[in-house]
Amino acid sequence: MAVIEAEHLSKRFGKKVLAVDDVSFSIEPATITGFLGPNGAGKTTTLRMLVDLVRPSGGTIRILGSRYRDLARPTTRVGALLDASGFHPGRSGANALRVVATSAGISYDRVDAALEMVELEGAARRAVKGYSTGMKQRLALAAALLGDPEVLLLDEPANGLDPEGVRWLRTFLRARAAEGRTVLISSHVLAEVEQTVDDILIISRGKLLAHGPINELTRTAQPVVRARAPQAEKLEGLLVAKGAAVNRLGDALAIRGPGSAEVGEIAHAGGLVLHELLTEQPSLEDLFLQIAGTRKES
Amino acid sequence: MSALLRAELLKLRSTRTALGMGIAAALVTILPAVLLIAFLPKSTIGGDQAPGILTAGSSLVTYILLVFGILGMTGEYRHGTITYTYLATPRRGRVIVVKLVVYALVGCVAMLLALLLANLIGVIGLPMRGVSYPAPDGAALADYARQIVTAGLITAFGVALGALFRAQVVTVAGTLIWALMIEPLIVVFKPHIGAWLPFNVFSQVISLRIGDTGSAAEGLSRPEAFLVSIGYIAAVSVLAVFISMRRDVT
Ligand SMILES: Nc1ncnc2c1ncn2[C@@H]1O[C@H](COP(=O)(O)OP(=O)(O)OP(=O)(O)O)[C@@H](O)[C@H]1O
Ligand SMILES: [Mg+2]
Repeated sequence: MAVIEAEHLSKRFGKKVLAVDDVSFSIEPATITGFLGPNGAGKTTTLRMLVDLVRPSGGTIRILGSRYRDLARPTTRVGALLDASGFHPGRSGANALRVVATSAGISYDRVDAALEMVELEGAARRAVKGYSTGMKQRLALAAALLGDPEVLLLDEPANGLDPEGVRWLRTFLRARAAEGRTVLISSHVLAEVEQTVDDILIISRGKLLAHGPINELTRTAQPVVRARAPQAEKLEGLLVAKGAAVNRLGDALAIRGPGSAEVGEIAHAGGLVLHELLTEQPSLEDLFLQIAGTRKES
Repeated sequence: MSALLRAELLKLRSTRTALGMGIAAALVTILPAVLLIAFLPKSTIGGDQAPGILTAGSSLVTYILLVFGILGMTGEYRHGTITYTYLATPRRGRVIVVKLVVYALVGCVAMLLALLLANLIGVIGLPMRGVSYPAPDGAALADYARQIVTAGLITAFGVALGALFRAQVVTVAGTLIWALMIEPLIVVFKPHIGAWLPFNVFSQVISLRIGDTGSAAEGLSRPEAFLVSIGYIAAVSVLAVFISMRRDVT
């Protein structure tokens, strides 16, 4: 059974903004799904709708089989780290978590455990106003983890984390998925997402553009052929004449369209020497730009 | 519900807001009482007048409690903690009801303490002027009880207004301007309407007139004023809950 199911979800803010437009997806247990899209695409709005903070204008959501507000002790089932949430600046980190724990009926042992997990024990008694950006982000992460939930919704959790923190987060999420937990994570750090997630959802201007396993999606994306040639400009001309899309930087070409064999043959036919020729599996970034980019132009 | 209650109390204890408001309430209780005892003629500070003089600051205390109630609710929006509050308790009505109850109780306790403090000043200060401290009689105690209840109501009213309007500075400023300027003007120019306006109704519940037994001059009897106060709080709270349930938290 799917852990999260959204059907024909849409959200309108006022008359002008259609933030989410008829989005349907379902997320299977024990997977990590990357939720990607340009700024203003509707990611935060969708995540907030999943936990009943934003009321959908249309469509339905089931999370763990029911509406979020019908879950008993919801924060022990679903942990959410959301953009634009915050802590009282005058309250200590530990007390901020205790408030969250108390209202959810979670024991204070979990507060200590969560603080330890995000390595914030040292600063726990200090007021939040003295925290750095990364420390606040760690505290928010600790709040999401407090209830030891089986589903994690993370809105740009890597924001402000140092490289060590980002790596920690990646191993942490992988370990959670291995335990059978489900993670939905929005992020702009595509290289990071690429190493962490199983599936991706791509959304742009409120519309869902792609959903599937990352391997399959990157496989279906056009591969990039990279070539280096002393007469790169000439080669570029020949390739473009054959209908390829070419980016040239000095003597290096990035070619979309023809395969590497074809590029080699075209060079040979033109009497041009190649110094390098290879096919690159498109990265998540290439895929993202292809999918979200075409959208923008249309 | 009890988890929510404890969470609210922890929220109060874990920042300095409550402490600061408590200090402010103590100061506005102490200063007028001390000044009046020190400078009023001896003949006017004893006997029947004593309870009124000692608690001269209590109406200021209720305004502090009003602001305290507004801050308690709007602070959640201002600092973004409302997200965590609603994540733990997606039934938003419960959150607001528990806050109303907790703040009403805190308001009652605060006024009780302010009245005790005022009487303590009387016990110590009056003999220094050579006047004996008159232990409060039945009428004075009844006045105190009404002040305590009204303090609770006004604090809860602050919470309800905060839930309705959300924006902290606007709600505090708007409410104080309404209570201290607009209502008094309406009371002067249109007394029959003024009698029914919320803060005037609250003050009619107290209607501190020593020896006065029933209706206040403004128009409502005390029981009427009490019921109308409850009506105002209920109306604003129900509206706030109704609107909060539909509002997006972004
Ligand atoms: N409370 C609101 N009122 C009006 N419009 C809003 C509100 N919240 C979001 N929007 C609009 O909805 C759209 C989607 O915003 P959202 O925050 O979901 O994007 P996002 O994908 O999270 O972007 P980012 O990557 O920048 O975080 C934007 O056009 C935004 O302006
Ligand atoms: Mg966002």
